[in-house]
Amino acid sequence: MGTPSVLWNVAKKCFTVGVISLTVSDLFASIVPVRGASMSPTFNPKTNSLLDSLSDDRVLVEKFCLSNYKFSHGDVIVFCSPDNHKEKHIKRIVGLPGDWVGTIYDVVHIPEGHCWVEGDNSASSLDSRSFGPVPLGLVKGRVTHILWPPHRVSSVERKTPRNRVSPS
Amino acid sequence: MLPTLGITGNVLLMERISTRTGKLRPGDVVFFRSPENPRRVVCKRLVGMEGDQVTYVVDPKNSDKCNTIVVPKGHVWVEGDNIYNTKDSRNFGAVPYGLVEGKAFWTLLPRRDFGSLAPKPK
Repeated sequence: MGTPSVLWNVAKKCFTVGVISLTVSDLFASIVPVRGASMSPTFNPKTNSLLDSLSDDRVLVEKFCLSNYKFSHGDVIVFCSPDNHKEKHIKRIVGLPGDWVGTIYDVVHIPEGHCWVEGDNSASSLDSRSFGPVPLGLVKGRVTHILWPPHRVSSVERKTPRNRVSPS
Repeated sequence: MLPTLGITGNVLLMERISTRTGKLRPGDVVFFRSPENPRRVVCKRLVGMEGDQVTYVVDPKNSDKCNTIVVPKGHVWVEGDNIYNTKDSRNFGAVPYGLVEGKAFWTLLPRRDFGSLAPKPK
């Protein structure tokens, strides 16, 4: 048994594993680290600004919601930033199309096909209060569970703020 | 998208490599998720990338009034080839680049249009 055939077998297995894991991560679910404290205390509750990447929360993002883009108030979603398509953000949906959302200065109407997202930690969160309603086509998945660290493994609940949103 | 694409429907080949590597240029025919309905994919022509200055006729059927805007960062400006009957960036504004799915580069059907797509009619 020569070395080339061993290498070829290993290469074939790596390619198969790669294709299968890419398909699963695109269509079903993937595991994503959460950076930053904009979703404290839901994710990354320690407010230490020197968070190193090993202590970040890792969450399960499911992609089944992308078949018909039906979301509910309080869902935590992953979406591409409207200002830079290479960055992804994790925030909570506060308003759905047709809702009226109250900010500090005025009341915003959410147009068709868009949603209003806000981080749980309003003090340090770059969200729809800065870049406006987010088109639902930019959503890449919905967060369902926290998988790391082990003592905080749980499902992510829907939380809606009171007195901020008037549904359509 | 008349006259580039026909009334009875076309079958085009779309590639996603150009969007990922950032090689889209004004004049390309692109597919993107509609900002008004995420379940629909729309086909229009790319007219301006981020930072470009775009001049467009606001309402071609009724007046000649033009408007000039600068395309914001992370967005693109798309227009249909048939400006008299199209819903494009003049209606829903600049489209975030993350919504762009791919670029159309070849027409398969109808047979008489087989080949690369026509450039924007003047």
